[in-house]
Amino acid sequence: MALIEVKNLSFTYNGAQTAALKDINLSVESGDFVLLFGESGCGKTTLLRLLKKQLRPAGKQDGEALYRFKNIADLDDRTAAAEIGYVMQNPDNQTVTDKVWHELAFGLESLGEKNEVIRRKVAEICGFFGIGDWFHRRTFELSGGQKQLLALASVMVMDPSVLILDEPTAQLDPIAASEFFASLKKINDELGVTIIIAEHRLEEVFPLADKAVLMDKGKIFMCDAPRNVGKKLSNSELSHKMSLGLPAAVRLFYALGKTGDCPLTVKEGKKFISENYNGDIARIDPPEQYLGERRAAMEVSGGYFRYERELPDVLRGLDLTVYENELLCILGANGAGKTTLLAVLSGVKRLYKGKLRIWGKKLKEYGGNSLYRGNIACLPQNPQNLFVKNTVESDLYEITKIAGYGREEGKKAVEEICAKFGILHLLKSHPYDLSGGEQQKAALAKVLLIKPAILLLDEPTKGLDACSKRGLADILKKLKDEGKTIVIVTHDVEFAAEYADRCAMFFDGQIVSVDGRINFFASNSYYTTAAARMTRPLYENAVTVELAEKLCRMNGEKRHG
Amino acid sequence: MKKDIFALCIVIFLVVLICTGTKIQSVDDYYLTHIDDIKEDSQTVFLTVKCDTVLKNWDKLDSALRYEKYVPGDGFILKRTEYVLRDKDTAYSILDRAVRYNKIHMECTYSANYSSVYVQGINQLYEFSCGELSGWMYMVNGVFPNYGCSKYYLSDGDELVWCYTCDLGRDVGCDWGLMR
Amino acid sequence: MRYFDRLHPAAALVYFLFMILTAMLSLNPAVIVLCYLSGVIFCGILTGFKNLFKSLLYSIPLTALIALTNPIFSHRGETVLFFLNDNPVTKEAILYGVFTALMLMSVFYWCRNYSTVMTTDKFIYLFGRAIPKLSLVLSLILAFIPKLKRKYKEIDAAQKALGVYAAKSYVDKIRSKMRVLSILLTDSLENAVETADSMRARGYGLKHRTSFALYRFEISDGIFLAVTAVLGIGCIACIAAGGANFNFYPALSRLNLSAVSCALYACLALLGFMSLFVEVKENILWRLLKSKI
Repeated sequence: MALIEVKNLSFTYNGAQTAALKDINLSVESGDFVLLFGESGCGKTTLLRLLKKQLRPAGKQDGEALYRFKNIADLDDRTAAAEIGYVMQNPDNQTVTDKVWHELAFGLESLGEKNEVIRRKVAEICGFFGIGDWFHRRTFELSGGQKQLLALASVMVMDPSVLILDEPTAQLDPIAASEFFASLKKINDELGVTIIIAEHRLEEVFPLADKAVLMDKGKIFMCDAPRNVGKKLSNSELSHKMSLGLPAAVRLFYALGKTGDCPLTVKEGKKFISENYNGDIARIDPPEQYLGERRAAMEVSGGYFRYERELPDVLRGLDLTVYENELLCILGANGAGKTTLLAVLSGVKRLYKGKLRIWGKKLKEYGGNSLYRGNIACLPQNPQNLFVKNTVESDLYEITKIAGYGREEGKKAVEEICAKFGILHLLKSHPYDLSGGEQQKAALAKVLLIKPAILLLDEPTKGLDACSKRGLADILKKLKDEGKTIVIVTHDVEFAAEYADRCAMFFDGQIVSVDGRINFFASNSYYTTAAARMTRPLYENAVTVELAEKLCRMNGEKRHG
Repeated sequence: MKKDIFALCIVIFLVVLICTGTKIQSVDDYYLTHIDDIKEDSQTVFLTVKCDTVLKNWDKLDSALRYEKYVPGDGFILKRTEYVLRDKDTAYSILDRAVRYNKIHMECTYSANYSSVYVQGINQLYEFSCGELSGWMYMVNGVFPNYGCSKYYLSDGDELVWCYTCDLGRDVGCDWGLMR
Repeated sequence: MRYFDRLHPAAALVYFLFMILTAMLSLNPAVIVLCYLSGVIFCGILTGFKNLFKSLLYSIPLTALIALTNPIFSHRGETVLFFLNDNPVTKEAILYGVFTALMLMSVFYWCRNYSTVMTTDKFIYLFGRAIPKLSLVLSLILAFIPKLKRKYKEIDAAQKALGVYAAKSYVDKIRSKMRVLSILLTDSLENAVETADSMRARGYGLKHRTSFALYRFEISDGIFLAVTAVLGIGCIACIAAGGANFNFYPALSRLNLSAVSCALYACLALLGFMSLFVEVKENILWRLLKSKI
């Protein structure tokens, strides 16, 4: 018996020309763990929201969405609120109240439960999630990961039979995301709660799912067990751009042209490689690039920074050199002060001790705004913070005026850059209506109109799907070819391993190690990519799937028997 | 640091200002007043300070003041005495000299409105101490001058009486209190 | 865990109201000293004696300042110490100043104790009962303000790095702040939609909403409240009956030791030191318990 049954569901938003969902058929059994994935804007969120009565968007619907054989739109309000739980993407926005205990009690208060019942259920849920310690704390003091766990707990406290999650880890760092997935697994395994989750970060959630649903342009492209989806996706005729987002083990397996059951996790992948491949050649050394005497774009020596006199130092003797025309990734855990580091590099915050030189000149020598005219530009973590106007177009024109373009010149520059980023069709839209990837491109376009020589990016891959990440990487590559210097602060290990020139590890207010990307991840044991963890100890520096594939092929297969 | 130094300077300045502008006297110094001896040719005035009206309004009197030492049984704080009149003596200056000489307490303020001294209390008996219509007034030769006491210059042989009223002057025979 | 943290907010509120009221109502030295001492020691217990010491460091000079200001303006009193600009400085006026200052300080310390114990949730709990919607709105606002602050900083940094306006000119500074505020507004509206979704998803708007509270009124709270009420009403009644009468002018009256006054002193001492008693008892019990383990 299917718990949720979606039959021939089509949906068109009010005022939209094309349908957001077309002819969706999906059946979810009780206790299933269903993963929805696909490019942003493919209709995942629309589908999920149609399953939650309170959040149904306005529009025209054909076909049915049933919960326990009842149309979801006709469900009793109380049932719909309690039995179908919904967790959203942004941990900040979905926290409603100021205290953790109040947040946990909120749903039960709505249901009109008595004080004693609420007390008991809240106690139980705290025990289950191990969050009793925070019970009396204020919600805004929690970290993003803790907030998201709280959001999950405060939905689970209503004892739902289905839990719907819309990209719940998009705003979290990898560690917090792992913890979140572990809690989801626990809910699914121990309580048998049905889970429907939309997610971009497939590495961890893919192996957990019973069913993986790939959506494309409002349709279900594929719906099968994860292993089969991996197999079909990697199949050449069906080749789909979402295959980029599959776990490293799956990608490596099919890149090597294998057939049969693919490994899903790092553990399975490791077993697969050690069983099937020789390890005679342990490393590929990348062709040595002669870089010559490179000019330093930015130089920090002995930098100290803190926010208040009483607070501890965020930067403690920071030494860092960024060379001209390189892509440097600074990696580090959440809350290590990476964003602060970027604020210092961009001159928004000043060091209280130590020196910062940009193109060999002290910060003081850049009078007025000259630092931000053609020298440095910074793309904040949340691109929304940059938009002022009602359309992307007027926003971009505004910056051309400020940057001192002539009228015609400005128009030409805007058109040029939009064509380059492929966002010409978005010019008339409101910046807030764009998807995460599109917002990022628009924001980047805005920042680049100032023609900076150094570009600083704060967590640019946060919340992006695999395709958008690839798109971003392409743009960054082009920028580098134009001679720009790029500094990225991120915790996206895979992205750094793939596209950086050099990587630096930021910890305890200092840069603890800097190296070329391959050496950097090859010498890290924990803070490294899935491919590196999978191929170790057989290969020393297979930090990306491509390198791993190359090494496997060079070594050749083991002979069995 | 700069601010601190600045603040310190201000404090020092204030302290100096207060010290130089302040006259500190011991009790004995203050009461050490010289009264001129009455000679044949000296001009004199007579001064009386009385509060007999309080005796009739005893129930209105502040309970802390219901003692002989504050309100003498006969109603006279200072019995009619002759004092030498100095040049430019006013109704106030004679009173001031007399209470000092007799070590009687007195408190007064300078009122800018009337550009004159206003007597608040004599012998702990203050305005409003005996009902809200009470206070000190002065009378010269049986007339209540509607005039600040430190601006009223006395002349030879004047009869000055400081009397305490409990009813805006009506009970001591002044009628303008009501009109004001 | 302090006793007053566990105490039901209603009982704590009544206690503080009585203490603050009594402290404000009278200038009787005995009453003031009792209120001051109990307030200061209780403050030490609540916030730690280190913090108390710090606060005394500025409150004692302040007390002295108030005490010394009075004789400059008031010259009543029969015991003249010396004359200042021909005006008497009296013992009575100085003492009046001292006790007024102590009264102000005891009200200050009791208010401080009140704010230490009565945190916002307790306040919301007490007054949200009457208007349940209000308590939720307060909670929403309290959750929203820090978010807004952080968002403001983020946007400000982003715009600064964009170098839109010159940093030196004041006009430009104001314009750039306006710009940040305008983004903040759009952004908050956008995010508020999501918060509202989160509320609706968890059934907000269903009928018969209840309001959960962490506090339960237990028997011990009842006893505390009853004792507080009896002693507090006793104090107020004794003051009303003139038990606290005391004169500073013209001469210090003798401390009233009539039956009513003695009852007042007793009630006040019990009331004031009751908080210390329960806290110390709590501490000793806990230590005993610990030593048994």
